[in-house]
Amino acid sequence: MDYISHDDLVSKMTLQVSSFQEGFKILSSASSILEIAKNFNHILRGSLLITEVNVFFKVSKQDNWEKVLVKNELCLDCLQVLDNLEDYQIRFHNDKPFRISILHPLLDGASFGLLMGDKLDKSNYTEEDKIILQVFLQLLDNAYQAYKNHLKEKALNFSLNHRILQLNTLIDTGIEISKLQNRNTLLEMALERAVSLTNASKGIIRISRNNKVLGVIKLPDTIDPEIVMSSNKKILTEVEYRGYKYEVTLIDKESRSGYINFDATDEMLLHAFARQVHAAVENEQLHKEALENETIKKELSVASSIQKKIIPEKLPEIDGYKLAGINIPSKEVGGDYYDCYKLNDGRYALIMADVAGKGVPASLLVSTLNASLRAYLDMNFPLADLAIKINKIIYNASPPDKFITFFISILNPENGELDIINAGHNPSLILRKNGKIEKIEAGGVAFGMFDMGLPFDGQKLFLDRGERLLLFTDGIPEAMDMDEEEYSDEKLDEFFKDHVPANAEDFISALLSDVRAFTKDTPQSDDITALYLIRN
Amino acid sequence: MVTDFNLETEKRDNCLVMKTFGYINNIGGEKIVDEFNKHKNNGVNNYILNLAESKIVNSIGISYLIEIIEKLNSSNGKLVFTNLDPTIEKTFTIMGLFQFAEKADNVENAVKII
Repeated sequence: MDYISHDDLVSKMTLQVSSFQEGFKILSSASSILEIAKNFNHILRGSLLITEVNVFFKVSKQDNWEKVLVKNELCLDCLQVLDNLEDYQIRFHNDKPFRISILHPLLDGASFGLLMGDKLDKSNYTEEDKIILQVFLQLLDNAYQAYKNHLKEKALNFSLNHRILQLNTLIDTGIEISKLQNRNTLLEMALERAVSLTNASKGIIRISRNNKVLGVIKLPDTIDPEIVMSSNKKILTEVEYRGYKYEVTLIDKESRSGYINFDATDEMLLHAFARQVHAAVENEQLHKEALENETIKKELSVASSIQKKIIPEKLPEIDGYKLAGINIPSKEVGGDYYDCYKLNDGRYALIMADVAGKGVPASLLVSTLNASLRAYLDMNFPLADLAIKINKIIYNASPPDKFITFFISILNPENGELDIINAGHNPSLILRKNGKIEKIEAGGVAFGMFDMGLPFDGQKLFLDRGERLLLFTDGIPEAMDMDEEEYSDEKLDEFFKDHVPANAEDFISALLSDVRAFTKDTPQSDDITALYLIRN
Repeated sequence: MVTDFNLETEKRDNCLVMKTFGYINNIGGEKIVDEFNKHKNNGVNNYILNLAESKIVNSIGISYLIEIIEKLNSSNGKLVFTNLDPTIEKTFTIMGLFQFAEKADNVENAVKII
């Protein structure tokens, strides 16, 4: 028997240990079962000087052996040998195309099956070889655990990154959809994000009002909403805003091995997205309203400029008469108009008009009326003919829902003669010397309603000394208090009759005070316009 | 608008250009990997993934892309993503895909990288 010296034994053992360490390092760096098998084959062949190592693997006892690394195809016909082995067993053979069969169970229930060939020199495996083999099998076990830990670490990293992604996307989506002004685009974006972050395969947002479906946003766009609604693998939530209901439904949560159930995180995410949709829809609505208000403001400002140019800054002074007027629009600009100017024959035109509607269209119509009157009045047409001409102009210039009620009185200051036309306007009032009120009913339809050549019946009256004339729009008798009760024609008649100040301005300001005393804090519902004439 | 998934491929010089259409999810990811495996087995080692027509991706789709990246890393191959929607680019950054794969503005620039 050969004896080995102590020093040689120490050197050999040291070499062997460093070989094991190197082996473990190589084995544990593997990123797949195949790589483990390749490295194991390489290390074992180098250490034991053997022909080959054939490696098989199965995930659990019940599974069949998977071929991982096969160097000797004959082994494939002998896999039954591995199934006949007990838990962790090494068996030596002389009658098989391999020398050693090994069943190596692993901690997680998987197993390696190894079929190892002869030694290169055809010698028998020594006891030392068997010990080395045991050590390498242990290293194989450790390498497999390292590989599994590596997989777990990767899965954990992936999962953590995915959580960060979910949070990040939730924040981003909140910011991004709040900037969108198109409701469909923001809903599409929210649906895309909700579907992708929950790993749903499909989703819809159904928009309805009073149980009537108004629209459906789908992902993918080919999906039938009925399939989504009838799915039993779904999560859903809904948001309501100003009578509109937005129902978000996601179906079929994906995994690499098929559809799975949505979890609590998915539901939290979906609800969070729904809250963002609610906020974004509300923002979009408020933004839209702000823009509309801005447009209205601009429109009113334009209309106001037009109106200011038309309503007289100062009324003319008429010898032998006192005249005052007022126009207080209910909003920024109204549809009332009054004027008084001297004609080239020395007479004066006193005008009162009320356009149905407010804003730019109304003030443009007033502007048209004003321009037409200025053009025609000096031509000395009979008033009835002038009214027909003006009606035609207004009819052609106005949209179907717009018309003008109009009252004109041409005053001859010499004799107090009033030549009058009333086109659908409320009757003007004359206070006679005897204290009686006379209503000027002269008639015709409002301008712009019809273009059928309907006649306008004129009327001639005289205003004697001490008598008074009041032209006004319906904003005065229809001024309302908190209980929506009107100031009324009767109250106006009474005021007109009872208040006879020496000058016209005093009457106008007293009338305004009386109306305001009646309406108190109620916002003015219509324009207040009046023109008051006293013959001295 | 998100359509059903579709994939177009084109061989360019020494690489395969794959252009995706629609949602890169389980179905999409599987199709990409199948196409990749087919060409990888034929020796193609460089790939360009043009995502111009894909606006959303989920984590299952990403896991397939990581699988491709790992396979290419072990064979010294290369994967370049192009035409990335900003949301997808951010998603890939957070999920760590650009640690082992590259990105380019368009396919022409990706070909230069490869």
